[in-house]
Amino acid sequence: MSKTDLTPKPLKPAAFHILLALGDGQSYGYAMMQAVREQSDGQIPLRTGSFYRHLANLIEAGLIAETAPPRGPVDARRGAYYGLTPRGARALAAEKQRLADLVESLGGLRRASRKGTA
Amino acid sequence: MPLYDLLLRAYPRRFRATFAAGMRHAFAEERERACARGGRALAAFWIATIVETIWFGMAERRRRRPRTLSTETAASLLTVDWRDAWRASIAAPGVTAIAVLSLALGIGANTAMFAIVDGLVLKRLPVHEPERLAVLDDGEWTNPIWEQIRARQDRLFQGAFAWSNSRFDLSERGATDFADGSYASGRIFDVLGVRAALGRTFTEADDVRGGGPDGPVAVISDRFWQTRFGGAADVIGRRLTLQRVPFTIIGVLPASFFGADVGRTSDVIVPLADEAIVNGKESALDQRLAWWLNIMMRLKPGQTIDRAAAALRGEQPQIREATLPQGRNPKNLSGYLADPFALAPAATGRSPLRTRYQEPLLIMMAIVASVLLIACANIANLMLARATARRPELSLRHALGASRARLARQLLAESLILAAAGTFLGIFVAHWLSALLLRQLGTPGSVTLDLSYDARMIAFTTVTGLAATLIFGVGPALGAARLAAAEALKEQGRGATGDSRMGIRNALIVAQVALSLTLTVGAALFVRTFVSLNSFPLGFDPEPLMVAGVNTRRSPAAPQARGDLYERLREAAAAVPGVASASVSELTPVSGNAWNGFVQSGPPDLTHRQRMVWINKVSPGWFETYGMRLIAGRDFDGRDRAGAEQALVVNESFVRRFFNGENPIGREVHGDLEGPEDQRSYRLVGVVNDAVYRSARAGLNPAVYMPLAQSSAWTSSISLTVRATAGPPAQLAHAVGDALLRVEPRASFTFRPITMQIRGSLAQERLLALLSGFFGALALLLAALGLYGVTAYSVNRRRAEIGVRIALGADAAGVVRLVLRRVLLLVGVGVAAGTGLALWAGRFIGSLLYNLGPRDPISLIAAAGVLTAVGLLAGWLPARRAAHADPMRVLRDA
Repeated sequence: MSKTDLTPKPLKPAAFHILLALGDGQSYGYAMMQAVREQSDGQIPLRTGSFYRHLANLIEAGLIAETAPPRGPVDARRGAYYGLTPRGARALAAEKQRLADLVESLGGLRRASRKGTA
Repeated sequence: MPLYDLLLRAYPRRFRATFAAGMRHAFAEERERACARGGRALAAFWIATIVETIWFGMAERRRRRPRTLSTETAASLLTVDWRDAWRASIAAPGVTAIAVLSLALGIGANTAMFAIVDGLVLKRLPVHEPERLAVLDDGEWTNPIWEQIRARQDRLFQGAFAWSNSRFDLSERGATDFADGSYASGRIFDVLGVRAALGRTFTEADDVRGGGPDGPVAVISDRFWQTRFGGAADVIGRRLTLQRVPFTIIGVLPASFFGADVGRTSDVIVPLADEAIVNGKESALDQRLAWWLNIMMRLKPGQTIDRAAAALRGEQPQIREATLPQGRNPKNLSGYLADPFALAPAATGRSPLRTRYQEPLLIMMAIVASVLLIACANIANLMLARATARRPELSLRHALGASRARLARQLLAESLILAAAGTFLGIFVAHWLSALLLRQLGTPGSVTLDLSYDARMIAFTTVTGLAATLIFGVGPALGAARLAAAEALKEQGRGATGDSRMGIRNALIVAQVALSLTLTVGAALFVRTFVSLNSFPLGFDPEPLMVAGVNTRRSPAAPQARGDLYERLREAAAAVPGVASASVSELTPVSGNAWNGFVQSGPPDLTHRQRMVWINKVSPGWFETYGMRLIAGRDFDGRDRAGAEQALVVNESFVRRFFNGENPIGREVHGDLEGPEDQRSYRLVGVVNDAVYRSARAGLNPAVYMPLAQSSAWTSSISLTVRATAGPPAQLAHAVGDALLRVEPRASFTFRPITMQIRGSLAQERLLALLSGFFGALALLLAALGLYGVTAYSVNRRRAEIGVRIALGADAAGVVRLVLRRVLLLVGVGVAAGTGLALWAGRFIGSLLYNLGPRDPISLIAAAGVLTAVGLLAGWLPARRAAHADPMRVLRDA
């Protein structure tokens, strides 16, 4: 079930937030869950099970890959570290762009509707 | 963590190899967070985690595997179509609702009982390393003994402390305002490893006579801090009046700490040495015969309890020598500290409540477990009926390629959904029920138990839910596995013959009836025990009576003058409008306090035990106030003063035992009524009717009454009983309190209608009657439902046969008889089995009954009668419907 091309198909909100959590560099599971919770203001209610399901999907789609842990002392209990693949970075950028465009076009709509009523 | 590891097995192995470490870490962090938010959040977290992990694990297995029938292997045993199972569950809402509700009640009742058993018996004290704690076993000890142990504590153990529970009056004047508290020696918090949540705890420096550097100090519980001070941050340093003595609050204890007694919260803890300040001249600190302290010790690391006990026993002769009571007859002292000291493990603390309720609790556990079994049998029956109704559908699936194993799993999944819903609802039922039970264990607020969910509770509820699923889910699943496709399709709709599975269903009904009968017999026994104790003729008239506990410890009146003071208090109370009479006594009946002595007169062949009599000291008019009858002789009066001949009034039982029923007026009685060293002669002046002294269960026993005015020593506390002319006596409390305060402003009073004391003495019987009655009725209802369901089902299957019979001329009564014969057979077999079960189970409850054998035939026959009647009613309804059916329509439809 590998997808060869990455036409900017909208990502699920949870997937987007997980990619976003890796935007600043590598991280590990629980920290990513926390980051998603903070970024989304608790709007994306990820629990351990659902988070790892998304993570497995993203790895399978080739957007995220396991990386070597950062240098220095690392708590082994945290499990593996993950980072964006080049493809993941592109998907994140594309999704950001798509959302920005969406906001833009919404703004246009609002202006148009305002003009209409005026 | 082991539980979570188990849950993770729901995931395929490859997934686990990649992610398990991270998931475990995330789980641990999340659990910490939930833990910090309290018990309820933790319970919710566990439930969500269990559901979620299994759900996603299953989904992961299905997703990563190509879907063909050939790969259905053992690894996919748990793979089922949950959506399908869910649809099947909501397709029959009535069946599902009944199943979920009865499961919720069953599981809820079991969880609630377990919560109480857990809190009272299993949970460890919330202190540092509770497994290293031990108590000096069997009973209470004197302060001189404790001081000897204290001097040796560092050598023998890591540390030790003594404590004694007490109630403190917080009022500054007038009516009393009690709080549960305790005296504890200086190192209690150090030994237990408990730190103050606010301020500081007290230490050995505070536990010195006369008060430490800060004077008398007190440490309060979190509950007390919240309710009395609204959680004020500046509570440290505030004044707290205990028994009219000012104390300074120096610390607040953590919310989890309740003291060393499980089931009771010490709201105020003060240093042991301050007992001398509170009780003044009556202090027990130097009394060598006042047994009032519990002693707990912490073992050294690695020290076993036996080694610690041996070490303590090594010092026992010196301890005995140093604490021997002075000026006592050596003959009476031979038993003093003769038994070797013994230590008992105290990781779960000490609990008089536990001792009192252990047996009833275990019986109630058995009762609620039986109710759950009955509920499971019921659901199994429902599921079997549904599986039969769904045979065409299942056969079709089988014919289309679903394996039998897969169909069986599908049915099991439906059971699991029911069980999950029932368990979830059951948790709410449990929460409500356990709080209700706790209120029944004692007077409101006096019993506190930690009922929060811990791992053990969660495990118990989960296992109960899963066990229930197995019990009621396996039958239908096996049935599906035996399915033969062609046969089932053929059979569709036409059912004139019997059904092989009726055998299982009948067996389930018999089991239900048998269990219900056992529970009904138990309920009958407990209810009859309670009713006969509750309606036991007390020998006095409790309704209009109110007892005022009077404490004159802070009064300046000299102990010799207390007699006059009590008489003035009595006169003041008697003058209050609405008071018919008032009188004073040392004890009141059914109060939990008792005093006994031994009579030497009478027939020589009486045993020592038979010579024991109960004693009370009363003022003139006391019998009249209590509504007791004077049978012969006279009441006490002005003649019975100090210095005059010692007078005695006895009851009828006394006359029967010691005078063979002859008129005893004017006769002399010898005995040690005032203590083992104090042989005296008494002149018998009157006989009154028998009255309950300790409790209805203890019954009517020989008792003697002595005139209060002839007391050699006046105690500082006394009971003043007031009889109301009309209406509830409690309404007099205010007026009587005011009148008493005008006589002695420094005395303190507690008011309590005597009916409350009587109610309290029957708490255990009431609880058992209430619960066994409720669950007995529930069991009966469930059995009736089951019987109704099975009869309705079998009548439905035989409707073609019945239609033919009616068409051929059978009358309605004949059809009803036909159906009821079967019902009667099932009930009869169930009742026979249940009778055997009830006879066997009776042996466990004998000691809790009153005036009844556990094999009481009346209860057995009544229960069997009720069950048969209920069973016949449950069978009659479908029978009547069948008998009045239109044969033409039935035959057309069949």
